[in-house]
Amino acid sequence: MALTAGQRKKTAASVLLSLPLMAFALAFIVYPLLAGGLTAFQASTIFDQSGSFNGIQNFIALFRSDGFAKSAGFTVGFSAIVVTIEMVLGFGLALLLNRTFPGKKLFFTMILLPIMVAPALLGIMFRLLLNGDIGAVPALLHGMGLSVSLFSPSSVVPLLVVLDVLQWTPFTFLIIYAGLQSFPGELLEASAMDGAGPFRSLVHVIMPVLKPVLFAAFFLRTIDALRTFDVIYVLTAGGPGTSTTTLSIYIYKAAFESGDFGKAAAAALVVLVCLIPFVPFIVKRIASTGIEAQR
Amino acid sequence: MRGKRFWAIGATLLTATLLAGCSTSAGGTEGSGTGTVKMVSWPGPEGDAMAKVVAAYNAGQGKKDKVKVDVVLLSRQDTFTKETALMASKSSNMDIYWTASYNVGQYAPSLDPLDGIDTSSYFPVAVDGLKYKSKLYALPLDVSNHFLLYRTDLIEALIKDPVASAEYEKISQSVLGEARAPKDPQSWDLEDFKAMAAYFSKSDNPKSPTEYGTILQAKNLLYNTMIWNDVLWGYGGNWAKDGKANLDSSAAKKAVSLYADIYKNKWTSPDSSQAEFPETQAALQAGSAAFAIQWSAAFASLNDPAQSPQVAGKIGIAPVPGGKTHVHALAVSLNKYSKNKAASKRWLSYLATEGAMSKYAEAGGIPAMPKVLEAKASLNPAFTKVSETIAKNGYAEPVFPKTFEAYSKLAEDLSGAWVGQTPVDDALKTANTDLQELLG
Repeated sequence: MALTAGQRKKTAASVLLSLPLMAFALAFIVYPLLAGGLTAFQASTIFDQSGSFNGIQNFIALFRSDGFAKSAGFTVGFSAIVVTIEMVLGFGLALLLNRTFPGKKLFFTMILLPIMVAPALLGIMFRLLLNGDIGAVPALLHGMGLSVSLFSPSSVVPLLVVLDVLQWTPFTFLIIYAGLQSFPGELLEASAMDGAGPFRSLVHVIMPVLKPVLFAAFFLRTIDALRTFDVIYVLTAGGPGTSTTTLSIYIYKAAFESGDFGKAAAAALVVLVCLIPFVPFIVKRIASTGIEAQR
Repeated sequence: MRGKRFWAIGATLLTATLLAGCSTSAGGTEGSGTGTVKMVSWPGPEGDAMAKVVAAYNAGQGKKDKVKVDVVLLSRQDTFTKETALMASKSSNMDIYWTASYNVGQYAPSLDPLDGIDTSSYFPVAVDGLKYKSKLYALPLDVSNHFLLYRTDLIEALIKDPVASAEYEKISQSVLGEARAPKDPQSWDLEDFKAMAAYFSKSDNPKSPTEYGTILQAKNLLYNTMIWNDVLWGYGGNWAKDGKANLDSSAAKKAVSLYADIYKNKWTSPDSSQAEFPETQAALQAGSAAFAIQWSAAFASLNDPAQSPQVAGKIGIAPVPGGKTHVHALAVSLNKYSKNKAASKRWLSYLATEGAMSKYAEAGGIPAMPKVLEAKASLNPAFTKVSETIAKNGYAEPVFPKTFEAYSKLAEDLSGAWVGQTPVDDALKTANTDLQELLG
């Protein structure tokens, strides 16, 4: 069917207007992805920049190295712990602030402060604050009669969990709080009339309706947690040994300390391929409305 | 059909444009010998000193040469990361790279050898550390090594006090299996270092004036491998022997065990598992440790009343116990893909003169030229010590293409054992295997 002149004009305009976005996507998403994917199959190192095709050698080297499996294990475990805690705390805070009380605005602002700080800067701040000799936190604990070495091998992983939770709980809180703001109040009224108490309303009314929001928060935080780099790199550089090496730190070290870009790209590609199957599953849940979920 | 062709042509043009933007340089050229030279530097005392030398060159000799040097400051932590990315893309954006003894072997494929530069004024160990396959790939700029920095008041009090000396003998008997008298740090060996660490720690000596004897730099960091290497070399060890990895030696085992003993016995702060230069400075400045093996750059600030009010004037400097100190030079190298090599060489030739290095010293740097350090001794009390120690005790680790990675890998393999998290033998076995692989 032939297009009318008006329709053709409209189509041309829409193509023209979307060109900048397409150019951006090509330059900063498609090209890096393709280049990275290609590098994963090349002998690309700082010593050999010829970029010759080497099949799956980089992947073989990757799976043979202990470091990759260890860093994957640490990353998955760390992410599972921090995301769980952040979801629970974020939900709790959102419920708490979903009511009016004196000083709410100030409290709200205080809660959001940590996500406004760049992660690397947060790492440097905590490196100073938690230093056993000059840090305020050990001094405070010492004043209370507690002697804790926050950077000792036994306490460094819990410390990293606490710092991640401190920085990213505001993020989950913000998303869930936004969801609660648009929560249909009549549903709660109806459940109250049916005799449901606060806990039952929470489990059977609020949570199902907020399911897409909760999935969105969970998905975004999980993706971000799996990419954790800055704070851990600044504080521990992945050590002692490799005990706090995340996948991002592993990839960074492979590329910029070992100069093995092929292996680093292969590791990044493996992570991407492992994550892709979860995307449609999560997107489906985010896209469904809470009301549908209730039905 | 026409629409499809439009999209295909558009996509091809766009891709070509993008790829052209990301294209790499085919190779460097000599250029006209004049114009602007772009040089990487990093912030901090070395970068500040270099900025003043550059300003002096641009205002004087540079005008005669018709060369202007532009310094591009990158962040201290990411300088080498960004340079690696530039080298990987064969970029000609920078004419001169900021390099160091520990990465010149890795960067050599992207650098031009510096032929015809007179290096006789430099410390030979600094020049050797910048050679790869017998060719010089970088010009030494700032030299770094280690010292034992210690509290003079505490050590003097110990030596003078017979009761304290008797207690030290008792502790050294328990720690070393032999009673030792307290000695001046100038003549300590690594066993004295260990016994002193125990004596000045509350865990072994509740009357100790400091909480911990020392602070180890045990974070998983390549620079900490350099400090541990002093202990390894001090015990007579080395990374390699006859081209083979040699970390299964008894010296290597003693070197790791020394760290592990100090850590497990709480003669260093438990937090030293994440310590590096700043944490060591903080421990000495706060008076919580009596001594530490530390970088040469630390001495001046520890004796500066404004920066270290608690300990200024009480910090002494001595060779590293065991008598060996790692030496590395920060350096500058010529980018193989530079489009202006001739002008860059003019600037590098100027930089290699005693006049330029004197300016560098006056601006706060520690140049790798013994004559300049001696002439400028009044500027920094550490200059004389640096000069003496490097000449007498300095060593450079083997330079091979993967030296930079080796430092990192050893920190990764050994840092767990330094703090007692991994058995010493297991860590050394892994480290030896990894080092052998890197040696090729």
